[in-house]
Amino acid sequence: MSDELLPNAGRRSFLVRSTTLAGAGFLSIALPPALGIGDAQAAMAATPAYTPSIWFTITPDGVTTMHIVKAEMGQHIGTAFAQIIAEELEVPWDKVRLDMPLESAANFGIYGLAYTVNSGSVTTEFDRLSRAGALGRMALVEAGAKLLGAKLDKCYASAGRVIDRASKRSIGYGEILQKVKLEKSFAYPADFRSVKLKDRKDYKVIGKSVPALDIPAKTNGSAKYAMDVFLPNMAYGALAIPRTRHASKVLSVDDSAAKGIPGYLKSVVIPDHMNKCMGWVVALAETYPAALAASKALKIETDAGPYGSLSLDDIKADFVALMNKPEEGANWVLEGDVEKSMSGADKTLAVEYSSDMICHAFMEPINCTVMQAADGSWHVHVGTQSTSFARMTLTAYLSMVLGKKQEELSVFVHQYLVGGGFGGKQDYDDVLAAAYCAHVLGRPVKFIQSRESQFAVSHPRTPTLHRLKAGIKDGKLAAMSHDMVSGWMGPRFAVGKKFNNGTDWLQLDSWDDKKQDIDQWSVGGSDHWYHVPNHRVRAWNSDRTTWAIQASALRTVSNSYNMFVVESFMDEAAHAAGRDPLEFRLSMLNGKGGNRGIPNTGHPPGTKSDYYLDQIWISLPWPTDKSWPEYESGTVGGALRLANCLRVAARKSGWGSKKLPKNTGMGLAVSSAEERQSPTWVAGVAEVTVDTTTGAYKINKLTIAMDMGIAINPDNVKAQIMGSALWGAGQVLSERLDFENGLLKQSNFHEYKPVRQVDVPEFDIELIESGRHPMGVGEPASTIVAPAVANAIFAATGARVRHLPITPAAVLEALKALKA
Amino acid sequence: MTNLTINGRSLASDSPPDTPLLWVLREELRLTGTRFGCGLGVCGACTVHIDGQAVRSCQVKVGQVGAGAITTIEGLHPSNAHPVQQAWIEIQVPQCGYCQSGQIMQAAALLAHNPSPSTTEIQDAMNGNLCRCATYPRIAGAVKRAAQMMKEKKHV
Repeated sequence: MSDELLPNAGRRSFLVRSTTLAGAGFLSIALPPALGIGDAQAAMAATPAYTPSIWFTITPDGVTTMHIVKAEMGQHIGTAFAQIIAEELEVPWDKVRLDMPLESAANFGIYGLAYTVNSGSVTTEFDRLSRAGALGRMALVEAGAKLLGAKLDKCYASAGRVIDRASKRSIGYGEILQKVKLEKSFAYPADFRSVKLKDRKDYKVIGKSVPALDIPAKTNGSAKYAMDVFLPNMAYGALAIPRTRHASKVLSVDDSAAKGIPGYLKSVVIPDHMNKCMGWVVALAETYPAALAASKALKIETDAGPYGSLSLDDIKADFVALMNKPEEGANWVLEGDVEKSMSGADKTLAVEYSSDMICHAFMEPINCTVMQAADGSWHVHVGTQSTSFARMTLTAYLSMVLGKKQEELSVFVHQYLVGGGFGGKQDYDDVLAAAYCAHVLGRPVKFIQSRESQFAVSHPRTPTLHRLKAGIKDGKLAAMSHDMVSGWMGPRFAVGKKFNNGTDWLQLDSWDDKKQDIDQWSVGGSDHWYHVPNHRVRAWNSDRTTWAIQASALRTVSNSYNMFVVESFMDEAAHAAGRDPLEFRLSMLNGKGGNRGIPNTGHPPGTKSDYYLDQIWISLPWPTDKSWPEYESGTVGGALRLANCLRVAARKSGWGSKKLPKNTGMGLAVSSAEERQSPTWVAGVAEVTVDTTTGAYKINKLTIAMDMGIAINPDNVKAQIMGSALWGAGQVLSERLDFENGLLKQSNFHEYKPVRQVDVPEFDIELIESGRHPMGVGEPASTIVAPAVANAIFAATGARVRHLPITPAAVLEALKALKA
Repeated sequence: MTNLTINGRSLASDSPPDTPLLWVLREELRLTGTRFGCGLGVCGACTVHIDGQAVRSCQVKVGQVGAGAITTIEGLHPSNAHPVQQAWIEIQVPQCGYCQSGQIMQAAALLAHNPSPSTTEIQDAMNGNLCRCATYPRIAGAVKRAAQMMKEKKHV
């Protein structure tokens, strides 16, 4: 990775439009057919369009096309962004279209890092999209006033028209652009900072459940995913399942059997310059079925490499060994004196938790089509969470493969709809393999992972092991320690820890003086919002695990296991203290100290540093660029907002009052995913019935209350909450991956089991639209289901299961342990 | 050469007869609305109709189709306004959308045979269709809504 990843002052000056910029940006804009409801490109060519900033273009036909750099992967982000812009720009919703800019070195300079991650899109873009819309409106009002011969201060904009209050005459945005060429540009960042935004009570489009713009195409087959790309003369590639998930080495390939398959072209060993495609052999053929058959017919001799005999049991043994060396653990949270408080406690509770591997298993297997054009440039067609990283990674790879300087290479990435991402479409091994095949073959190559190869080279969530201890004093949680070990994904993403300018990427220093590295994405969530005066979280990295399984981010990242652990443990602590789990939680969600949330400047009293502010946002440019107008932190209100969610969910669920049948119980959980500095406040109650003879259980109902600040599109927020909650249900009910002799074992959906239609419980969802800064909604609700279910199983039967997923066998075992 | 009837049109395929119908539809005939999900008949993303029955096109060899009339998502309704499609938009079902062609084809086949399915019948009929975004509650709701629309309009 290079400095190119980081924001730099030079790029910023491009953020505001100029006529030339608009032209340059648009000539190369890819119009994804699925989203390109109008042909903006053609309209642009014919008419003087207006692009007052990089985020949208208004054409003389009155249509506004929003340029969406974020991946459209189920969250309807284009619609959300368009609503935010349209609100301030005052354009009518039926004249709104979407497109997705092409990724190139030049457009990277204009649009910045294209990366969709951390449930951060709305959070990080809301403010500047609003400001961009307002600036565009001001320019149009000015031009409209002139054309109407009206006084500027008498004019305002509404529904795509500039209206003169005095004369009651008006002119449409499209007509304005037909009559004059708009040249108004804005000083950055001064104009962005000073522009007056609407009072939130006047919102007309934000907060309205407009239908998502990408949905119609998804009901008639016309939606375009990368899988639907066809290029002239293209061949197909299929991956032979490698000997191990990582680091095996191909010694020889015998393709004599493959040669009998009609259409077979050749097999290619992918050079592993970036340690991403180690042990990969791709079979190429004229059709995909032929390529797939050939991939299975290859006889490949391999050196299994360092992980060839590694299995999950070995990883678990590694975890225990690591945890037995306390001095090597790095402190992620360190408040008060845990040891002292524990020794003075009335009662202590020590328990062990663990979680299995799971993987994304998106419905669209990873695929891409790569061609080298006649001019030597490379074109990647892919649906990815980061077109920018795809381009950078491929550029670096090609420079090594072709022995060229990176500057000599021209790589373009064409983005498509993403058929499910969930954190799993941010590795670019497929792009490298397809590009290399295209290079060898001299033809475009469409590379498609079969479901089996997709599972084999998936990027799972790490297995984890946790040891927790509570010190109860006077019925209160006086001390809590949480030790955890896992494979850290951060080191795999950030090759080399520091950038040249010295800033960290993903890896942070520990809180104490030891300054050990910590991977934020592997420990986040453990830094919960309960006020516990003596609190320590200590983490160890099992590096061998990281690399052997190619650990990666999976929807809410570490929250997906840490909230299970923390929220199950809080229940245990409540019972140990002899208190009701609701009352116990509320007493600690008091917003004290660092849990009060932060104002825009400074840091919470009681914290040692400005740690919260200094964590790096994945999106640019806040907060490293201090010149950017700071927007309200999502943490404002702190733990009190979480307590509010919990009260609402508990009351709606009938907590403490509803009569429940035998073996049925309710469990609570709260969560503040995704990161400590970007919380979406959510609480949930699961009602679960356990069959005590088999250990099987059913989630009857999920009651969820979420405070996401402003709900840009409430109907979609509800959809996202339901979908993510069911994702969470899969984690507790049935999803797990095995690892044996270096290989991920599950091969298809008969072995790897996401939830299905029959697993769906009743839902009761409450949106708490607090009006604060809008936070992400695509992931957080997934974190509360597993712990709420675990707590409900306990409430129903007294059985406590401390491992994810919670299998019927584990419930039975816990029930037996109760009797013993 | 295999002759096929797809969405009311006669089309020919040059693929070997043992080729899964899915790949003929998608890559040869470029009817890409039918999606590849698992290749094993366990996810439902590739669901099409043959003679009105919902089938997993990844499990049907092109040579087995014979005179069977194939309907894909592109041919479900001449103006994409089948009640199931309308209900899918009204209820705002799709998220990533990748599985939805299969869901819609499955739902349309269900309603063609059972115009008033119960909740349990909907669950049973739709259970073979995976949705990793878990839009299941809205899928079930949209099937009911489509059933209602069909009753009101008495068409399809």
